[in-house]
Amino acid sequence: MAAQPKTIWDRLEDIPREILYGLLLITIILPMIYPIGFPVPISAEVQRWYNTIDALPAGSVVMIDFGYSGGGEPELAPMAVAVYHHLFKKGDIKVVTMSTSIEGPLLWEKAMLELNPAQYGKQYGVDYIHIGYIANVEAAMAAVGKSISATTTTDYKGTPLSQYSIMEGVDNAADFALLICYTTGGDQSEGWVRQWYTTYQTPYLSCVLAMMVPTMLPYQKAGQIVSVTSGAQAGQMELLVEVPGRGIKSADVITMTHLLCIAFVVVGNIAYFGKKFSGGKK
Amino acid sequence: MSIVMKKNVPILIVALTALLFLLEFFVFPELKDVITMLQNWGIILTAFTLGFGAVNMFMYHGKQVSRRTKNQWPFSLWLLIVLVIFTVTGVFMGATSTQYSWLYNSSYFALSATVYSSLGFYMTSGIYRALRAKNAESALLLVVGIIVLARNAPALAASMPILIQLDSWLSAVPTTSAQRGIMIGAALGALALGIKTMIGKETGFLGRLTEGEKGGS
Repeated sequence: MAAQPKTIWDRLEDIPREILYGLLLITIILPMIYPIGFPVPISAEVQRWYNTIDALPAGSVVMIDFGYSGGGEPELAPMAVAVYHHLFKKGDIKVVTMSTSIEGPLLWEKAMLELNPAQYGKQYGVDYIHIGYIANVEAAMAAVGKSISATTTTDYKGTPLSQYSIMEGVDNAADFALLICYTTGGDQSEGWVRQWYTTYQTPYLSCVLAMMVPTMLPYQKAGQIVSVTSGAQAGQMELLVEVPGRGIKSADVITMTHLLCIAFVVVGNIAYFGKKFSGGKK
Repeated sequence: MSIVMKKNVPILIVALTALLFLLEFFVFPELKDVITMLQNWGIILTAFTLGFGAVNMFMYHGKQVSRRTKNQWPFSLWLLIVLVIFTVTGVFMGATSTQYSWLYNSSYFALSATVYSSLGFYMTSGIYRALRAKNAESALLLVVGIIVLARNAPALAASMPILIQLDSWLSAVPTTSAQRGIMIGAALGALALGIKTMIGKETGFLGRLTEGEKGGS
């Protein structure tokens, strides 16, 4: 028996993935080459994040966990860099960074190259430092919260922490006015709530992958996290900080690819109902 | 190995350690120094297991290469070559050296970012095929999916502020409620598991035990 010829509905309902992938690729590449400049609204979460940092009094010390891996760098690094810009622009803020991800120190170096702290007159060891990767995620958070000097004695390069002026009078969670975590792992983002917010009530800002946001919302709703954002919102932070970078460049791409996905869904449903009403599907 | 060393001693160590942590948190904060020391032991042990894991990988893949395991040994060989290059560079030039950074940035970093980004293509295909209004439940999923997709497109959200309100409600009410339920359930499960582990009823962390060893004392 000869196979029935495919109708237009059949074809639209089952577009080959090569075509879907091809269209997606074009939609990603074109706005990167020819930026459109779509408007980017500031969400309440990003605004709250910005306001929290803006309200830090002079002399505050901030703890940052560079807890993401290489795969998440394109999404999370633009946000991390934009927030560093904000912290350094504010002036007298000290930033201590650690990593609960083994790749953290290397990715932090990349971020510092992109940021160039020297443009704000910031010096390593005086205004900012990286105390290295500390293994065993939640145990590391708890140990650092109790005493940094009892947990690690060197920075990520192996230089004794006692040689850096930034560490004078900074040893435990009580010395930090704010905690920020960028991570690709649920252990890290939730672990800081358990180990620092619950124990020391340190205000906590969390930036995670977009798909992780729903799992973090209950903590935000309960007030345990001041603001949960995704790396995809970096463009908004860059607008607020007035330092356009990778985040704002990707905003056009995000808009275009999401529109394409909506178009695919509409086409798929038109085809589904077209086939159903033309008698091709029971 | 006797059942005492294989089961009873590890359970005793776990129970005592857990008890110490609980006492420090709830009753005796003066135990802080002991707890800090135990946490540091944990950190050191975890760091050690990373090295141990590398040795284990070396042994396992070394066997695959020496046995010429079909469809496996070339990949094992490649893994060993990369492992040696990274280890030698890290040990002799430093894990923060320019050479190590170059190696990481031009191989592992680029590859992992590429693999993660490729998910976008699969997800696009998945959205097209899965979001079909075939029945009431899938129609609901379709509507919510479209709202969230549109909300996350910055330009659409800017031109239709109602999307932001709808998405905020979806995030704050149904998503948070469901997520809370999952989290509280998981936390209660973890609590039960912790108590069972402390009293020796849960022996999964001891590795493979015979039925007699599980039930024996």
